[in-house]
Amino acid sequence: MELITTVASPRELAGTDLAPYDAVCLGSPYCRRVEGNFAEDLTLLREAVSSLRKMGKKTYVTTPAAPRGRDLPHVGRLIEAAGEAGVDAIEVHNMGVLRMLREMRSPLPAHMGAFANVYTHLAAQVMKEYGAVRVRPNAEVSLKEMETVAREGGVEVEALVHGKIPLGVTDKCSLLTEPEETDPKCPAACREEHWLTTRQWVLKTVGKGVLSGRDMCMLEHLPGLVSAGFFVFKIEGLYETAAYRSDIGRVYREALELAVSEAEYKVRPAWADVVKKHSREGLCNGYYFGRTGRRYVGTVLQEAKPKV
Amino acid sequence: MAELLASGGTLEMVRAVLDNGADAVYVGARGWSRRRAQYEMGDDEIIESARYARSLGKVLRVAFNTLPASQEIPLFLAKAEKFFSAGIRDFILTDAGVMAALSHRFPGVQIHASVGCTIINVEDALFYKEAGATQIVAECRMGLEEMRRLKKEAGVGLEVLVHATTCYTLLGRCTMSSYTRQEWRIDDEGKNHFLGSPNRGGLCYRVCLTEWDQVGKDGEPEARGVILPNTAYFLVDDIPALIDMGVDTIKIQGREYSVPLVGEMVRFYRELIDAYVKDRRAFRLEQWKERMAGIVCARDAERREKTAGLISESLTA
Repeated sequence: MELITTVASPRELAGTDLAPYDAVCLGSPYCRRVEGNFAEDLTLLREAVSSLRKMGKKTYVTTPAAPRGRDLPHVGRLIEAAGEAGVDAIEVHNMGVLRMLREMRSPLPAHMGAFANVYTHLAAQVMKEYGAVRVRPNAEVSLKEMETVAREGGVEVEALVHGKIPLGVTDKCSLLTEPEETDPKCPAACREEHWLTTRQWVLKTVGKGVLSGRDMCMLEHLPGLVSAGFFVFKIEGLYETAAYRSDIGRVYREALELAVSEAEYKVRPAWADVVKKHSREGLCNGYYFGRTGRRYVGTVLQEAKPKV
Repeated sequence: MAELLASGGTLEMVRAVLDNGADAVYVGARGWSRRRAQYEMGDDEIIESARYARSLGKVLRVAFNTLPASQEIPLFLAKAEKFFSAGIRDFILTDAGVMAALSHRFPGVQIHASVGCTIINVEDALFYKEAGATQIVAECRMGLEEMRRLKKEAGVGLEVLVHATTCYTLLGRCTMSSYTRQEWRIDDEGKNHFLGSPNRGGLCYRVCLTEWDQVGKDGEPEARGVILPNTAYFLVDDIPALIDMGVDTIKIQGREYSVPLVGEMVRFYRELIDAYVKDRRAFRLEQWKERMAGIVCARDAERREKTAGLISESLTA
């Protein structure tokens, strides 16, 4: 079993209790200008990888989700630096970056990320030829489909178990009013929380990305995931607080250990309190059960009167 | 010589597009393309459309450019076989695995990598070429420099959308719509229409275009009436540059618009392309931009109505 969290920068790493986690994926794929972005600053990357390895953690580094031609030289340097630093894998969202890994004969395996749009086992097979050993299918792929991707695609499948679902990525920051090179609000703007609301829906904006307003929460469905053969689980930690990453991590560590044991599985009230405390807009199950993404499917953590 | 390609949402639109001067038309197999079912066509209509195109010496392409479920792939191959037997050789796809499967099953078939592939750099283009694509659609905001580089280095056909929408996100990288509303609906052929997912089924509720308020950490208002830009555009200024660089296909999207409007768009681009090719030095953009202004008004009015309808549809859950 592998429990992973994501951490964009030294600021996010500081204060995060990594004890519950087996692996950390470093960097933000949304924007190269994120302050202290491990996927941008190769010195910071090397230092983080070194200290995480000393802690016995697996380390991954992400790559830009939407690199234009002008970004490719940096991506090349990032791939090289990641190899030298000894990361265990590179998270890839863009097909061009996947191809670069192979062209550069990088020894690093690829983990296809949320924006790689892996929907079918055939796509996974194609990506495997370029060095992908693991995929995180697009958020819209149901659990049943993910099982098929794992079985027929010949790759490991990573399942998001908690955190905001990435809904979109763009390349013009919506938190700025001037070009990013000159706007004084950059990079401070995305250090703060921003939400987009209407009467009906709430989303979280990180400038070049849109995340779900609700938190994915698979806590009551863990036994199902385990018996279906899933063993790689991610808690989305980007743009969250250190307390979020630490507290949620501890809950899922305990819960997963219970789920894989012989003992009866039940969601503990203490766990429920923690996930609810850390969820401003409520919980959801994304598209795992073939439904509307913001809906929650379950009986234990179901809210009597869900907010939108 | 650049091919002018335009949309065929109905048999009527197919005829209008070809009669107004397009060299090629694309249609969506119902349930399988990036538009909702009402803008797609059944197998018989597609085969009929292909016959009409052939009778004019023109090309028809079938779009299967949504992301299917793994279990639907046999269904896709059966449909592709049917169209292949009816003489259709051109397909528009998004999933790299489906591309590979189709090109292995039917060597020589022409595969176009859809705008949904979000091809934004030359390495992307090479990846899809290796997956079996003979032509790729450039992401809507790709600059001319990157396109030239792609044309030079990628060795695949280049297709540019001259009428389309840019989407708030990078096109193909958005699940906002299905987050707000999604229903799985399986049709009588066994295809799931994934209603609410533009990536999987084509129906997008355009929730980006509703009016958003932005608030901060403690709910403090930061901005009201925030627009998430999702712009419908017409490319006019760049047409000469595109033709000079040897663009392979100039594409007009428009299955959701009225037949007369799409016909007008096609006529406009046909005449513009012909005028430029005939005499590049004498060519002047001004008169074309003036003429385009009228088409823009009509397009905006139709789009506004459609968008309002979609947003209210998403709310009646």
